[in-house]
Amino acid sequence: MKSIKLILWLFFACQCPAQISDFKSINFKKADSIALAYKGEELTHLPDLSYKLTSSLNTDVERFRAIYKWVCTNIANDYSLYTKNNRKRNRFKDDPLKLKAWNTTFKKTLFKTLIKDKRTICTGYAYLLKELAQFAGLNCKIVQGYGRVSSTDIENLERPNHSWNVVKLNNKWYLCDPTWASGIPNTETNQFTFKYNDGFFLADPQLFAINHFPVEAKWSLLNGDNSSLKGFLKHPIIYGQAYKHLVLHNTPKQLHQVIKKHERITFNYQLKDMTKAKEVHFIIANGFSDWIAKPTQTTIKKTNLELEYYFKTTGFYDLHVYIGKDLISTYTIKVI
Amino acid sequence: MKTQLKLTQKKGFKTLSFVGIMMLTLFVFNSSYGQAQNQQEVTKEKFTVKGNVSSEDGPLPGANIILKGTKMGIVSDFNGDFTFPKSLKATDILVFTYLGYEKVEVVINKDRTFLKIKMVTAAVEIIGALDSAKPYKSKRKN
Repeated sequence: MKSIKLILWLFFACQCPAQISDFKSINFKKADSIALAYKGEELTHLPDLSYKLTSSLNTDVERFRAIYKWVCTNIANDYSLYTKNNRKRNRFKDDPLKLKAWNTTFKKTLFKTLIKDKRTICTGYAYLLKELAQFAGLNCKIVQGYGRVSSTDIENLERPNHSWNVVKLNNKWYLCDPTWASGIPNTETNQFTFKYNDGFFLADPQLFAINHFPVEAKWSLLNGDNSSLKGFLKHPIIYGQAYKHLVLHNTPKQLHQVIKKHERITFNYQLKDMTKAKEVHFIIANGFSDWIAKPTQTTIKKTNLELEYYFKTTGFYDLHVYIGKDLISTYTIKVI
Repeated sequence: MKTQLKLTQKKGFKTLSFVGIMMLTLFVFNSSYGQAQNQQEVTKEKFTVKGNVSSEDGPLPGANIILKGTKMGIVSDFNGDFTFPKSLKATDILVFTYLGYEKVEVVINKDRTFLKIKMVTAAVEIIGALDSAKPYKSKRKN
């Protein structure tokens, strides 16, 4: 009898909106295996694809996960579309009519390429993710904004150049970036290799804000704690692998640093896996040569990692932080 | 012995009444049951819905047309034409979708059995920044 009562209570509980604010206890294995099972499906029947991916899952976060994982592992970055669009948008940047006309024409090409070849650029990823999620009854939106990576002209991001998504799960908004999670294009060979990076799924808003700046401030999800675009453009450069290893990037807060000879500069991060702390090292470049360096001092407090370093000679250095083989972040350091 | 029997009986009744209350509340508060019945009583008439889907470039083949809330649907043919496979009743909603176009929802009524649907391209600014694993390199004058 007790078990019947329990089942009935559970039945009731399932009819109420769930209140879990954290999904760490949820295992995404089932959602991921469903995404894998439908690998190679076509984009001609989106309602059907969305149903296939989500119908056997019980929670919204798992449903969203299956769709997200499918998009990230089935849609390739198209570097030639990207360069073409970039070139034209640059050319028409001061001519709103021509820019609008270009957007209309290009939009058609973009969606045709997405359906036919399953290749696209950011907006295509964000749009497809939103559509599939909406068919599954999930509240998912596209966020337009500025994305800051090592290859963009990082000091002069004049116009929004990137799209990502927000999704509402259990009454709370979460961030994700399907484009950057799918892999990294080789800009020289125009080849794309899928390499799923889980760090961009429901990413921490504070880490996300280091290289994502939304046009609409509320989508930073930082609750008013936003920096200005000018401030954003001064951020350090963090790479995709930062999302794999870091919970938070605390300091240095800016890309360009000026210190004196023998003055210590501090790097402070919160790591997901503290055992990786011993694999942290720097690669320093001065324009003539590169060398590997170890932090002068390493302090570990719970999940917090603090590194210190000083230079013995004046100069201008690019300092890259690595964890193992993974490039995490870059700063420039002028030593006077 | 007797009292024991009574006790278990009492317990049984308690659980039964608990189950009863649960079931009752379920039916009372579950609005979908009520709705479905009402609709059937009001409109029993069913009819075939046909139509044509187009975009600004002409007929739109391959548009998805589904009955809202179900998996049932069809795809528009080469000329953008379609005949929905199931007879529909008033208040049913057909959802028209095509990747890159705004979704269209149409409420069916018996005066509207031929639908001319014009789909418009999604209002979205196309942009894209690609991630790079290339280490950043400062521009140096020397």
